[in-house]
Amino acid sequence: MLEKTKTTLKYGLRHSLAAIMPCLLLATGLSGCATAPPKSDMADYQAYQQLNDPLEPTNRFFYRVNDGLDTYFMKPVAQGYVHVTTQGIRNHVGYFTSNIGEPARLLNFMAEGMPRAAGTSFMRFLINSTIGIGGIFDPASALGYKETDTDFGLTLAIWGMAPGPYLYLPLFGPSGARDVLNLPVEYFATPMEAAPASDALTNFSRAETGLNLINTRANFLAPIDQVKATALDPYATFRSLYRQSRASQIQQIYISDGRTPPPWTQSQQP
Amino acid sequence: MYLRRLILGAVAAAPVLVAMGGAAKADAISPDAAKDFINQSGQKLVNIVNSQTGSQKSEALRQLVNQIVAVDLVGDYVLGRYINVATPQQHQQFQTLFHQLLSYNITYQINAYQGVAFTVNGATQQGNDMVVDTTITTPGKAPADVGWAVDEIDGQPKIVDVIVAGTSLRITTRNDYASVITDNGGQVSALLGAMQKQIDKFSAAQ
Repeated sequence: MLEKTKTTLKYGLRHSLAAIMPCLLLATGLSGCATAPPKSDMADYQAYQQLNDPLEPTNRFFYRVNDGLDTYFMKPVAQGYVHVTTQGIRNHVGYFTSNIGEPARLLNFMAEGMPRAAGTSFMRFLINSTIGIGGIFDPASALGYKETDTDFGLTLAIWGMAPGPYLYLPLFGPSGARDVLNLPVEYFATPMEAAPASDALTNFSRAETGLNLINTRANFLAPIDQVKATALDPYATFRSLYRQSRASQIQQIYISDGRTPPPWTQSQQP
Repeated sequence: MYLRRLILGAVAAAPVLVAMGGAAKADAISPDAAKDFINQSGQKLVNIVNSQTGSQKSEALRQLVNQIVAVDLVGDYVLGRYINVATPQQHQQFQTLFHQLLSYNITYQINAYQGVAFTVNGATQQGNDMVVDTTITTPGKAPADVGWAVDEIDGQPKIVDVIVAGTSLRITTRNDYASVITDNGGQVSALLGAMQKQIDKFSAAQ
């Protein structure tokens, strides 16, 4: 069993490296570094440093590649998916895929030192997996255990790591030098990886990933269309939205971990 | 020596202070006043969206936007540090183009909506603005939580920002426009050209 896991990992690693190598070579070959303005122009130079996107030409190239893939593949598939499903079905698919990500969020909350958020995440997974029939329903929210999103990138942020330069990854989209470290963690921290490996589980894992992608894309059809239609520079708009969204997620984590003092600590008024 | 520096500093700062005095003053607003304002504005918006169609709807929406949104103030915020780089004519042109573009951007999304319902949840102070939290429900779509930042401009409550999922519309627009300027060698004229092209694209589509 252990040998089979090792073989699967080695094959997976080799396969993904084979896919990534051409991209990395292309990136280096395209001389993808932006030129900073001269220090004599202090305002422009400071703005450039604050923007923190030294790989902008490469990022823009991958944005165009992704945009093409999205326009000619992901978006039509998502539109077809919306056509054959109702909002209710898409909500339940969302609950299901979100529940599969809950153990990873639990581990991240524990690593962040957020006990209340970790407890909420644990209860959510327990309640939704059992009463929620494998995560398809979300009774935990009705019981007061609201979902808060986190990932390893946010864990690193809470530990004090700076976001680093902006990266637009092929296929994965907006990311950063710090947030990209979430990708391998996210892959391994699912219930399917924790269980003993089998062909059925691997197939299920791939099917779930595909369904998650399509469902998420379907939920973002309108916002992404709006950005592409109304923004003067969609690349810069997505970059700004991504960074604001990450900052907001960190705030949400602190809010969700707010400690409420137990009643016996309240002072007794005579 | 310190007195000389103080006087020189005051003399240098005077034009800036005069410029700031000339601009519209944004004051704090009470939570209840902000909630009432958003409620009324939301009802007007919902009436237009649900009862009118086509070009009448777009025109009515444009008029409402000019009434309830502090477009000039938002425009200055969006231009950001390039307000010092732009000439007065460029600044004026930018404001004109921004007015048009803002209404086109809003009507682009809202034109598709029919049967919208609007609920005001609460109001909290965030920085200098009072943010009113609302939920917008559209049949066939998931309900959306939208925050409206309200300030009192020259005695009237006006919307200065829209916050969705933690992202601020005016910050996003500012980064967008700044990117257009920096990618064209720091020329504000490049931004004005891009805005005009966008407006032409919208008006051709209608």
